[in-house]
Amino acid sequence: MKKRGTRFIGLLVTMVMLISLVAGCGGGGNSADKAKEIKIGTILPLSGSAAPLGKIGQQARDMAIEEINAAGGIKSIGGAQIKMIYADSKGDPATGVSEAERLITMEQVALLTGCYQSGVAMPSTEVAERYKVPYFVDVPSEDKITERGFKYVFRLAEKTSWRNRDQTKFITEMAKTYGTPVKTVGLIYENTAWGQGAVKAWEKYLPEAGLEIVMKEPYPTNSSDLTPVVLKAKQLKPDIIMMVSYVSDAALLTKTFAEHQVKPLAFIGTSGGFADPTYYDLAGNASEYYFDISTWEPDVNRPSSQDVNNKFKEKYGYAMNAEAVKAYVGMYIIADALERAASAEPEKIREALAATDINQGVTQMYAAQTKFDETGQMINAPIVICQYQKVDGKMERITVWPQEEARVGSHIVWPYPGAGK
Amino acid sequence: MKFDKKLLLLIGLVVILLLVPMMVTRPYFLHVIIMCLLWAYLASSWNIIGGFAGQLSLGHGIYTATGAYVTMMLFNTFGISPWLGLFVGGAAAVLISVLIGFPTFGLRGAYYALATVAISEGIVVIINSTHELGPFSVGGAEGLIVKMVGDSAAALQFSSKIPYYYLILFMLFLVIAVSYWIKTSKLGYCLIALKEDEDAAAAMGINVRNNKLIAAMISAFMTALGGVFYAVLIRYLEPNAIAGGSMSTQMVFLSIVGGSGTILGPVIGGILLSLISEVIRFYLGGQLMGLHLFIYGVIVLLVIMYQPRGIVALLGQIVQRFSGPKTVEGGVSGVKDSGA
Repeated sequence: MKKRGTRFIGLLVTMVMLISLVAGCGGGGNSADKAKEIKIGTILPLSGSAAPLGKIGQQARDMAIEEINAAGGIKSIGGAQIKMIYADSKGDPATGVSEAERLITMEQVALLTGCYQSGVAMPSTEVAERYKVPYFVDVPSEDKITERGFKYVFRLAEKTSWRNRDQTKFITEMAKTYGTPVKTVGLIYENTAWGQGAVKAWEKYLPEAGLEIVMKEPYPTNSSDLTPVVLKAKQLKPDIIMMVSYVSDAALLTKTFAEHQVKPLAFIGTSGGFADPTYYDLAGNASEYYFDISTWEPDVNRPSSQDVNNKFKEKYGYAMNAEAVKAYVGMYIIADALERAASAEPEKIREALAATDINQGVTQMYAAQTKFDETGQMINAPIVICQYQKVDGKMERITVWPQEEARVGSHIVWPYPGAGK
Repeated sequence: MKFDKKLLLLIGLVVILLLVPMMVTRPYFLHVIIMCLLWAYLASSWNIIGGFAGQLSLGHGIYTATGAYVTMMLFNTFGISPWLGLFVGGAAAVLISVLIGFPTFGLRGAYYALATVAISEGIVVIINSTHELGPFSVGGAEGLIVKMVGDSAAALQFSSKIPYYYLILFMLFLVIAVSYWIKTSKLGYCLIALKEDEDAAAAMGINVRNNKLIAAMISAFMTALGGVFYAVLIRYLEPNAIAGGSMSTQMVFLSIVGGSGTILGPVIGGILLSLISEVIRFYLGGQLMGLHLFIYGVIVLLVIMYQPRGIVALLGQIVQRFSGPKTVEGGVSGVKDSGA
């Protein structure tokens, strides 16, 4: 009993110490001049499986805010400095809701940004809508986020279905430019929500463009053999083959197509596995001339793109990705809205965001014009197509479409010349 | 005299709990309290099969998901109030618990635990890849959005947090009452007997399988109600969050750390640990990556190392020290005083 008693006391003391340590850490940062500070709350997955992606989003934001603050902050509010308050969603919807509640009611942030996963964005934007605080959604692309009639939600990213829309646009344009009539399309997709969602969008956009879907072939993710799918495509001979795949299936499909010498006019991927840095390592030279869709690439021909990416590389040691670009550019759009609102009141900021119309400055690295429609969706969120091509014997991902954003000096290889040609 | 004191204490506690929304005016704090009570509720629901009957279920996320999805699909499609839908959702969860329990409870060892893991993993995959089910929209991996109708008591949608607080408080009282009833009824004694030694229990004439099944059904129904509450509170169901492994293990974990097999252990574990995790995240969440989870882990580790019978046993001993040797729950939970 005696021994046990000392143990309890030891335990209690440890816990008290830990808690006071924790409490002590949180005390800092409140002493800054509140009158000249605007708080922005950001919800990101800072722990859990998506933590690395949350981290790069945080770094991109920090870099933008440092620049904005160093350039004199928000001038219309007396040079107010922006203060970022980060919250960890763990990638969990319920935690995202908790954190949105906290940032709004406790930290009293002027607006919210975030939050990488669509699954966290859906419920946490609802919290912001209820409190009438603007929520700037930079990365999540789930169509429904801006289709719920919310007034305080603004989204910078494209809708998921727009990628499939632009793939269709790309095909029609290529068919015309290169005089290769396209009539039929084959769809190969992984059989979960992502693939099924893409098929739904394709079934809308492809027939609208006069294209016939002659093949719809779902397969289970992480298949060990996709030969039957490939042989079916070889037999049906669709003019275009479009795919939704995670990286291992993307590489397997690519290699199997090469092996069986399947030769449509083009192979087009839908980001995901085809954009994965290990895709080329797995698929090798068979990936040559494959197309993929994206929103930003390091080589994209847009003003400021190279400079910002170089600065980021220098600061953090690796290149930006499309999500980091959206996070970075988002901060400038918010700063622009704050400048015009001349106030940290959520209502005024909402009005300013709704009236956003930017066509110059650093946001050009993402889009020539930044403007939101009445649902809060970014109009003309940019989408580019890239193609795997060899440059000096080395495979590279080259931005080729639309023409004005293509890598300088690049050209499109259309139709597909065949594997190893 | 002693009884009066206890009763007085209990009444005082209930009054304080009822008055919480008047004292806590910040919605965020109330939200945190609601989440703590929800976890206490879910841990207590798990405890009925996991603690009292000693059957390790590692897939209780199935029941939260079943309750939440069935109720909300009925609401979204036919406008059936969650008040009615929750019975359908609860019944569906009971049905699943029988489907898992009937074949496995006749067997020995880890079959039940294995079956719950396998089925819950399977169900997560199914929900993730199902967009429509007959007239119902399931939403697949994109998740199910609960239709917004504004403030409505019939739809259990409130812009204020206070109704949710009273609802979950009532649910917590309910699960404590159910636990108390089980513990003091014949069923409770049968469960303790079969938990300690199945052969001996069977020899005494206890129908082992049926008693386990009844406990599993009650537990599934209560857990499903927790799922419905989650759905009306968060208004968005993401398959991995509501049915996934973290939901399932969290219930087990809170219950064991609090003191499984006791009435108040899971309640205390649920409230205390959720509160600690929230407080740490409040202060450290946006700072060093994952530090808050690390500290949370250290605290849990300390509890498990120094107090393997759960926090409730620790509290029991503290009370004992101040009031002399009396029997306090947790001290008589049937776990032998070993190790410490």
